[in-house]
Formats: sequence, C-alpha cells, structure tokens
Amino acid sequence: MFEWLEGTAVALWVGESLYGYPFMLACHAVGLAIVVGLFVMRDLRLIGFFEGISYESLDSLRKFAWTGFVINAISGCFLFTSQATMFVSNTAFLLKISMIFLAAICGAIIQNKMRDEAATWDSSGVVAGSVKSLAMLSIALWMGAIIAGRLTAYV
Amino acid sequence: MEAFVAAVESSAINAWVHNWAWTWPIMEIIHFMGLSLLLGSLLVIDLRLAGFIRRVNIVATHKLLPWVFIGFGLNLVTGFLFVMGDPARYTANIGFWWKMFLVLIAGLNALWFWFKINPVMMTWDPHADTPAIAKVIAWVSLSSWFGVLLLGRLIPYIGTG
Repeated sequence: MFEWLEGTAVALWVGESLYGYPFMLACHAVGLAIVVGLFVMRDLRLIGFFEGISYESLDSLRKFAWTGFVINAISGCFLFTSQATMFVSNTAFLLKISMIFLAAICGAIIQNKMRDEAATWDSSGVVAGSVKSLAMLSIALWMGAIIAGRLTAYV
Repeated sequence: MEAFVAAVESSAINAWVHNWAWTWPIMEIIHFMGLSLLLGSLLVIDLRLAGFIRRVNIVATHKLLPWVFIGFGLNLVTGFLFVMGDPARYTANIGFWWKMFLVLIAGLNALWFWFKINPVMMTWDPHADTPAIAKVIAWVSLSSWFGVLLLGRLIPYIGTG
C-alpha cells in the first residue's frame, strides 16, 4: 500500500518536482512554529508564567494554534507520500506521530478544562494541579515531537 | 571570505562541532525548540499589538519578552555553531545572507518597539485597539521573523552564490 502511495502523481510531484518538497517543508516549518509555539505559551501560562494574562483570554489563541496544526497535518501528509515506505519503518517518525497524537488529545482536554474553569482560576488565582500537570505533559510531548521529528532524518 | 572560511575551518570550535556525530542533530533540535519559543511568544505579542486577540491584556504581554530572548539566545548560539561548523556552505548561500538581513531588520524593528511602544504601553487600555504605529511594528516583526523561518528552512534548497 505504501509502495502504491509513493507511485501516485501527488507523491511524485512532492518528491521529484523542483518546488514540491521545499514548498511543503516550508509550510511544515511555519505550522510547527505556530502550533508548538502557541500551545507551549498556553501551557507556560497555566504552569504560572506571564501573570496578568488572564486564563480566559488564552482561549483566543486556540484557533491560531489549531490552524498551525492543520497546516502541518496537510503538509505532513504530502511530505509523507514522497517517502512513505521509509517513514512507516522509521522508529523516530512513528514516535513523532504518537507524541503529536497524544499532544493533540492533551491539548483538547486542557481546552475543555479551560472552557469550564478558566473564569474560576482567574478569580481565585489558582489553577487546578491536574491542569498544571497536563500543561507540563503537553510541553514535554511537543518537545519530544520536535526531537523525534528531527531525528527521522538521521536514524 | 576565503580567508575567513579557511580560518574557521582550522579553528578549535569547528573541530568541536565535528568531533561527535550527534553534535549537529542536537544543535538542530535546539534550534527548532528555540524557534518555537521565539515565534510562539512573538505571535502572542505581535497579534495583540496588531489589534487582534483583544481579550489578551496588552500591558501584560511584556511578561512574554523573556521567552523571546530565551528563544533568540538558543538560536543565536546554535546558529553561530552551524556557521562555525560549516562556514563554506553558509557564506556561499544567498538564502543565508537574506536570512541574516531579515534578522537585522527584525532587530531594528525590536529597537523601534523598545523606544516607541514599550515606554507608553503601560498607559494603554488593556483590551482596546492599538495605534497605527503599533500595528506597523507588529506586522514588520511577524513578516521578518516568518521570513527568517522560511529562508532558514530553505537554505539547503537555495542556490549558492
């Protein structure tokens, strides 16, 4: 199946055209900066940095962060097609995808908690300990995804 | 430039970068983490400065500045080591020089922010729209830093000379 994928017109465009691969790679770098950057800023706030920025206002970063996520899901699929058989047998790549999957779930849970409780945290000044733990986990997962992602080129 | 390249290639720091096969990938990983911190914190500051995400208290966005410097510092150090490790490749690459030019523009823009916006920002309404000068600074910042990001990622694909 992955061999078939590598032979499709899309995969050949990404892998062999002059601009396909660099264009997708450029999109992937922009998406990375947005999704990891903004989720990590949200997490840092939940851990206790940037006092003065209300927990409720973090919600306005949500759509930007997920836009970065979508840019990378799409550009990532394109990049994947060009070397599908290599990627599916690359341990670092599989680790990266697993960590992104978990980070997205973690992000969704944090988001739900924030929607229900952010106003309470703002008035009491205290964030639930479980949410702080989730925020630390989220940072660790995104950093892990960066590490594993870069290592796909080396292992 | 040839003399510079030759001097760097025979330097101890060049030898250090090449001494261990994992030094380069580790520096790349740190460079990616640094860019996430730099662009993440700048996105929050600049989006607010451009008049978006008004629920975010603009006066409190200065609390993110240390993370801008942490991200920039990580990338300055790792970026310096990349150039020390492979000077011929970078100095011959037009994409690298455009990237450095945009870093310079971004730096001058940051100075403009520091002198024009930072001293008066404390008096602003935390959730109101921003003045035109703030919007200009925000968009120059975002476009130059994302330009830096794109040029950096595309250095391996951009022609030499």
